[in-house]
Amino acid sequence: MARKTVLIDTSLCTGCKACSVACKEWNELSAEKTQLLTSYQTQNAFTTKTWTYMTFVEKYEDQKMNWFMRKAQCFHCADPACMKACSSNAITKTESGYVVIDQEKCIGCGYCVENCPFGVPKVDQVKKKSYKCTGCIDRVENNLLPACVNTCQPGALSFGERDAMLTQAKKRLAEVQKTHPKAQLYGEKEMGGTTYLYLLLDSPEVYDLPVNPTVPLSLTLWKDVIRPVGTVAVGGAAAAVVLGVFANLFRGNYSNSDNKEGGKD
Amino acid sequence: MALKMETRNQMPKRIVEDKVLRFSAGERLSHWVHAISFFVLLFTGLGVLSTSFQPAMAIFGGIQVAQLIHRIAAIFFVVVVGLMFFVGNPRYHWRWLKFVFSFKKSDWQHVCAFPKEFFGGHGNYPEQEKYNGGEKINSLITIFGTIFITLSGVVMWFASSFPPALVRWAYPVHDLSMFIMTAAAIGHIYLGLLHPDSRAAMSGMINGYVSTKFARAHHREWYERLKKEQSMNEQKNV
Ligand code: HEM
Ligand code: SF4
Ligand code: SF4
Repeated sequence: MARKTVLIDTSLCTGCKACSVACKEWNELSAEKTQLLTSYQTQNAFTTKTWTYMTFVEKYEDQKMNWFMRKAQCFHCADPACMKACSSNAITKTESGYVVIDQEKCIGCGYCVENCPFGVPKVDQVKKKSYKCTGCIDRVENNLLPACVNTCQPGALSFGERDAMLTQAKKRLAEVQKTHPKAQLYGEKEMGGTTYLYLLLDSPEVYDLPVNPTVPLSLTLWKDVIRPVGTVAVGGAAAAVVLGVFANLFRGNYSNSDNKEGGKD
Repeated sequence: MALKMETRNQMPKRIVEDKVLRFSAGERLSHWVHAISFFVLLFTGLGVLSTSFQPAMAIFGGIQVAQLIHRIAAIFFVVVVGLMFFVGNPRYHWRWLKFVFSFKKSDWQHVCAFPKEFFGGHGNYPEQEKYNGGEKINSLITIFGTIFITLSGVVMWFASSFPPALVRWAYPVHDLSMFIMTAAAIGHIYLGLLHPDSRAAMSGMINGYVSTKFARAHHREWYERLKKEQSMNEQKNV
């Protein structure tokens, strides 16, 4: 299946939160007790049972309030840090661009939690399993729209082939920039190009998103340098020992009586 | 005898007939607690490090149990050895630190001759004190490796209490320390068990004593010093 993309056009979002309800319903995630954090926002982090939620930012400029709303979920990165970090090959990426956790393989180590630049996966400390948005891959593979996209009334969420969605996004951007000059796309290039692509009305910082999200340097160093070099070093030490035993045998050092008592004077 | 004097905080006689007391009971306890917990940590850690080791975790009853054992072994690895620096007769532990942190020219000369000795040849180096250059390096790897693997391990254990930026760096630090310590341990075990010339040192870590012959051959400076100290003490006591 060719690369898919979900465009989140925040200029059309009304902040109704229907997407988060649709997600809970389709994925059979029970509701959690929440409280108002700001005037409209009830959650500010993912949980094992909340895979998508709305953020509301109120920004005052020239005595005027601008309201920025964003549906947050896993970005389904083309270059996913979580997958690189996973200890148990439990995270895979599909050709269509979805990053999915296989809970059968997951051991709950939390390496994905710590390495995702967006703080997406969360480990259930009782079940010892990691959970996050699946992108509704089970629906998409059966030619259904993702649950959130399916439910969105103002058309802020749309789904399609990546190329078509990018064209649509750029067209919308040109339109939106007339009223919001700082509007920009987020996810076209970030993390290798994310399956969930945003049209933001302002810079990513305003939305509390990292301006330049990357696979952490420590992760690359760990998996691509220390792992292979360390493995070779330990293998080298073992080889030296085998060589040492043979060298001593060859020199007849094991039968030398001097050695048995602790060495030559 | 030696053990009894030690628990009363007295210095036992170091040279007895054809044997020399090399390690106190406390030092031996620390060594073996550290060694055994190290291998438990390594083995259980490998279950997390790679899926190819995961099936082996069935020995413990699964990866979940292995992860728990890793944390319990970590406590022994750190706390028992740490306590030995303060309870019982900690003098010997501090003296070891003093020895290994004084790295002299004669130590370098031993290190340079070491590869030859490792493969059964005969290297030339000056007479050595209680620890030779190679032993000092092994001790230093153990000391710094333990510090780094412990600090990073604590951060990984209580990851949610630390900022992600710190936790992300703990992983490579934990792995790097593990690789260096494991490589050193492989060489260390070879010298203690399999190397024809140096394995005579093993008894020192079992009953505390090595033969005077071994002491003279490998640590002459140390042996001569003990001999001098002992005869001075005997003169005093007369
Ligand atoms: C001394 C205190 C130590 C502590 C507190 C500690 C703690 C941890 C923790 C929390 C993990 C994360 C994996 C999990 O959730 O089970 C871990 C992984 C690991 N530990 Fe330790 N550990 C310690 C010492 C050691 C030692 C001495 C070794 C080996 C010689 C070791 C080898 C490993 C390995 C190989 C991993 C897997 C790392 C990876 O996935 O790359 N640890 N340790
Ligand atoms: S947003 Fe985080 S969890 Fe989702 S694919 Fe990217 S790195 Fe993985
Ligand atoms: S918690 Fe699970 S999915 Fe996340 S890195 Fe560990 S094994 Fe992989």
